[in-house]
Amino acid sequence: MGASVIERRSWPSSPDLVSRIRRGPRYWFESYVAMLRFDVASQRMALPEFLFMQIMFGVGMAIIYGFYLGHLSRETALYIVTGAPALAVVTAGMVAAPTMVAERKIAGTWDFIWSLPVPRSASVASTFTVYTALTIPGIVVTLALASWRYGLHLHPTPTVIPAFLLTSLMATSVGFGMAQAIRNPLVTTVTTMVLVFVVLLFSPVVFPIDQLPRWLAEVHRILPIYPLAQVIRASVTNGLVHDVTTSYAILVGWTAAAWAGAAWVIGRRR
Amino acid sequence: MAVAVAPRATRPGAPGLPEVRAGPRYWIHGYWRVFVWDLVDIRLHLPILSAVLILQGAGFVLGIGLFFRHIPQAAAIYVSTGVPVLSLLTVGLIFGPQIVATQRTEGSYEFVQSMPVPRAMMTMAWYTVSLIPALPAMTIALLVGMARYHFHLDVTSAVVPAVLATSLTGTLMGYALSHGITNPMTTRLASLSLVFVLFGFSPVMFPAAQLPHWLAEANRWLPFESMATIVRGALVKGMVTGVGRAYLVVGAWAVASALVAARAVGHRS
Repeated sequence: MGASVIERRSWPSSPDLVSRIRRGPRYWFESYVAMLRFDVASQRMALPEFLFMQIMFGVGMAIIYGFYLGHLSRETALYIVTGAPALAVVTAGMVAAPTMVAERKIAGTWDFIWSLPVPRSASVASTFTVYTALTIPGIVVTLALASWRYGLHLHPTPTVIPAFLLTSLMATSVGFGMAQAIRNPLVTTVTTMVLVFVVLLFSPVVFPIDQLPRWLAEVHRILPIYPLAQVIRASVTNGLVHDVTTSYAILVGWTAAAWAGAAWVIGRRR
Repeated sequence: MAVAVAPRATRPGAPGLPEVRAGPRYWIHGYWRVFVWDLVDIRLHLPILSAVLILQGAGFVLGIGLFFRHIPQAAAIYVSTGVPVLSLLTVGLIFGPQIVATQRTEGSYEFVQSMPVPRAMMTMAWYTVSLIPALPAMTIALLVGMARYHFHLDVTSAVVPAVLATSLTGTLMGYALSHGITNPMTTRLASLSLVFVLFGFSPVMFPAAQLPHWLAEANRWLPFESMATIVRGALVKGMVTGVGRAYLVVGAWAVASALVAARAVGHRS
């Protein structure tokens, strides 16, 4: 009798009547909520630091670019201000998220997480939700502080909602997928550092793309950093960016590719 | 008999005689032994570190040019002659403290400190090692700058003291940081924050006039602007003034850092 009690799994609402079925939307959603609680609780000390770091990086770089350029025209300042949140997004999604994944790899936490009785997709969706949600305040605060620094008034449109959501989700997804795909956590750390260097110096985030050599500009039209900056810039300015349809499409493509990559990596048996 | 053999330390090359731990010969020998020790210690990192410094230097020289639609010649020279300072400081000020922090985490710090070598010679040995990847990186950054922005350098013999003083002060500051702060995490954070201060908030790769007044004033007393002044003054003509004052500021930081480091490593825990 003792054994039958231990083995019986049941729905929360009807404890002793029906055996619990580990599939279906309701089970997935419950797992997702449970993993959200797990992610927030396990990262509660790191998440404020994560938010602080991305704001400091975004705003700090907006100020530093100004020092390098000296006298700024209004358009140059506008490029810097509207590019700064892209830097915050990159810091959050492509540096902090991979670092978190790498630290969990070193600690063996992923083995524990994959062993939990929840769908892996629910677990990954929870991580994406937490990091995407936390990136959005970083974008808003960075924009506010950078525009205050340069005395500019922005013109947010309703497209800020899809723009902020999609850019945050894309960066988190790519960062997460990259860190899961790279086996050695040390390689992940080096990759993120190289990424930051390339984004800061060689990406058209705070200056127009026509300032790049043609070949580098062509490469950036396919990579996700330039579309990310364009989509955010278009959502808070008038007339600076024309036609962001391609940028949205590229971001959706990178998000889908990152999801596919992550699904392949975490779905396989070792 | 065993008692007589075991505690006797001997002078290298003169077995049987007790070692005299004083005098120039002992100091030079200690310097050489620690120099070799440090080289062996970072032998796996050294090629990567050299490559990183070269890419970092060339990357800054080329990348900052992209911020401008048409980079003014003065800005190009500022960037190209400021990057060498970054190359000279990276190992001593950034990488060195990371190594000491790792030693503290791993528990090998006390072992390294217990080596029978004068502490000053340990510092000088590490200083020499830090120059090995920095000098080629600095040279390549300058060559890349000249090739990209088409300017000519006017290198004088003052480049020798300028480079040596800059990297020595950076190494001593790194020493003070790594030995003065006992918590490895704080050491790591402090050295990484210095990177941000160095390249973002110090007039090393751009003129001080482009900073807010209060920050420009603060930088007159901080070491990085003065380092850039003495290095730039030795590389190009007519771009800098106050080289003598800059040497005094750099020297003061070197002495202060040496005192902090000496107090920290001489302190018995």
